[in-house]
Amino acid sequence: METQMVYRIADNIVSPLGVTTAENYQAVKAGGSALCRYDHRWQIPEPFTASLFTETQNRALATDGLTRFESLAYASAQRAIEAASIKARESNVVFILSTTKGNIELLEQSSGDDTHIYPGTAARHVAERLGITTQPITVCNACISGISAIILAMRLIEAGRYDYAVVCGADVQNKFTVSGFQSLKAVDENACRPFDIERLGLNLGEAAATIVLGRERPTADSWAIQQGAVRNDAFHISSPSKNGEGARLALSAVTKDADTGKLAFINAHGTATLFNDQMESVAIGRAALGTIPVNALKGYYGHTLGAAGILETILSMAAADDHTILGTRGFEERGVSGEILLSAANAATDKHCFVKMISGFGGGNGAILVGKAEDAKSSVEGKERRGEIGYTVRHRVSVTPSRAVVDGQSLDCQATGKALLTELYKRFVGDYPKYYKMDGLCRLGFVASELLLRAEGHRLETPREDCAVVFVNRSSSIVADKCYQTSIQDAENYYPSPAAFVYTLPNIVTGEIAIRSHYMGETSFYILPEKDNNTIDMLLNTAFQDKVTKHVIGGWIDYPNDEHFEAEIFLIEN
Amino acid sequence: MEELILELKEQIIKVLNLEEMTPEDIDTEAPLFGEDGLGLDSIDTLELIMLIEKNYGIKLASPAEGKTIFKSVATLADYVSKNRKK
Repeated sequence: METQMVYRIADNIVSPLGVTTAENYQAVKAGGSALCRYDHRWQIPEPFTASLFTETQNRALATDGLTRFESLAYASAQRAIEAASIKARESNVVFILSTTKGNIELLEQSSGDDTHIYPGTAARHVAERLGITTQPITVCNACISGISAIILAMRLIEAGRYDYAVVCGADVQNKFTVSGFQSLKAVDENACRPFDIERLGLNLGEAAATIVLGRERPTADSWAIQQGAVRNDAFHISSPSKNGEGARLALSAVTKDADTGKLAFINAHGTATLFNDQMESVAIGRAALGTIPVNALKGYYGHTLGAAGILETILSMAAADDHTILGTRGFEERGVSGEILLSAANAATDKHCFVKMISGFGGGNGAILVGKAEDAKSSVEGKERRGEIGYTVRHRVSVTPSRAVVDGQSLDCQATGKALLTELYKRFVGDYPKYYKMDGLCRLGFVASELLLRAEGHRLETPREDCAVVFVNRSSSIVADKCYQTSIQDAENYYPSPAAFVYTLPNIVTGEIAIRSHYMGETSFYILPEKDNNTIDMLLNTAFQDKVTKHVIGGWIDYPNDEHFEAEIFLIEN
Repeated sequence: MEELILELKEQIIKVLNLEEMTPEDIDTEAPLFGEDGLGLDSIDTLELIMLIEKNYGIKLASPAEGKTIFKSVATLADYVSKNRKK
């Protein structure tokens, strides 16, 4: 079998600190940060600290015909493609957009057609502008989206689907996102302090970051993405598990064949929330990586959501190229129980390999192992090229407002529309009152997956790492988005709802299923501009490129409104 | 008190989006959090804190205070009746 590697061809970061990777790296190395305190910005009553573009920067980045979000993604992707000197029009190039909320700021003025708010529409606009002709794929996997997107790119290239992937992570901030994180009491109104004893929460940030990955090694010492894994805590949709089990599993999956002595550092998620940083410190220790220096970059950029995983990977490569471990800005005294090695100041290193880890809502945890090609050799020796894997469909379920079908048999139901979901819940589940708290998308996914597992006839007693959940849709979490928007729309009656905000991440449904069914394998959520069975099949196949994966609940699950929804999902195995 | 209890149950159903549940489905004395009863979690605590602020003008100094107040609908009703500003 041929050994396949996936190499970094070029990259770019566009942030308030600069519009190239070099500008960003130099600014961060010098201790710079764009974090700034805002009072009454966007009519938000409580002050907050964030890393936002200035009006001048926004104007400079704006592209005619694109929204602010799309312009930002385009600005970064376009620069990266130019640096990579690849022909964007060729059919061997795919555009992967990583974002959590994309064009959500358009929702405030939206009336009628919601299509322009869907992340897949934004991806299409940016891809067209870049001259990319293949179908763009959006990864919407909450905070871990950036790492999920890099892993997806790696797999699509390894499988021979494409030769190049332009992986762009981007998010802008606005009333919707800031008020949402405030409602969860997850923010520090002053600059964040990752892993510090006095940390109070995160800051949000705006940025786009793009990495162009390819099959061909550009130079002898090129960076390579060597390993990648996503694991779910199967614990809670908005809190990490206490023992960091999902993060530990992800870390172990990417380092098990590696020589950890060659690791320069672990770049943690380090959001500076109480729970995240504590959990990461425990997971690093449990993965036997406690002797490796750890850093976190949120003190420079805030949490850039969909950009974070990509931005922080690029910056870590730039730092390692410069023989530097970047300091953790905002950190003074360790305030986590795991005895990890942290420093506020930059330090020197002569190693060229690192781990990037990340965790997020929905219970997902991601990790990648990144190294120089020559170092990489030993750790990926024997890694097989995995092309067409193929899977067996054990059961299939489809649910629409008018009927539910299991393995071709239509279920006899009375109700229609969203009441049908509750009828199915009462008849076939009944013992999981949490169902009533879920939004429409989660109810649909939950009920459909329960029908699949019922058809299978047995359920897991104990959590398993080889079971994954992979969903694809078009309308993201639009119903939940609107529900949350109503809680902040009216200045006189402004009560941002945390329970509603959590469901504005479409991948929450994968977390709900993981919790219910004890699935600790990969959980992924992808968005397409249109339903397309070939692409869905391709995405489901990628889950099996993680050699641990044996079973997947996956397929199409779209909930544009209470009258129109569709689940077409499968229980598959390889 | 009975009236307040019913009112609170209705509000809980509304803010926590417990669609299709009725006040009768919620046991006044049963724990709101944990495995039994409604199985509410930390996010729901935040939601309930907002509920009593919005509807009764009660501002909690820290979410930790919620633990005892939100034990059950009965304890919540007791607290609200003693501390309400509107």
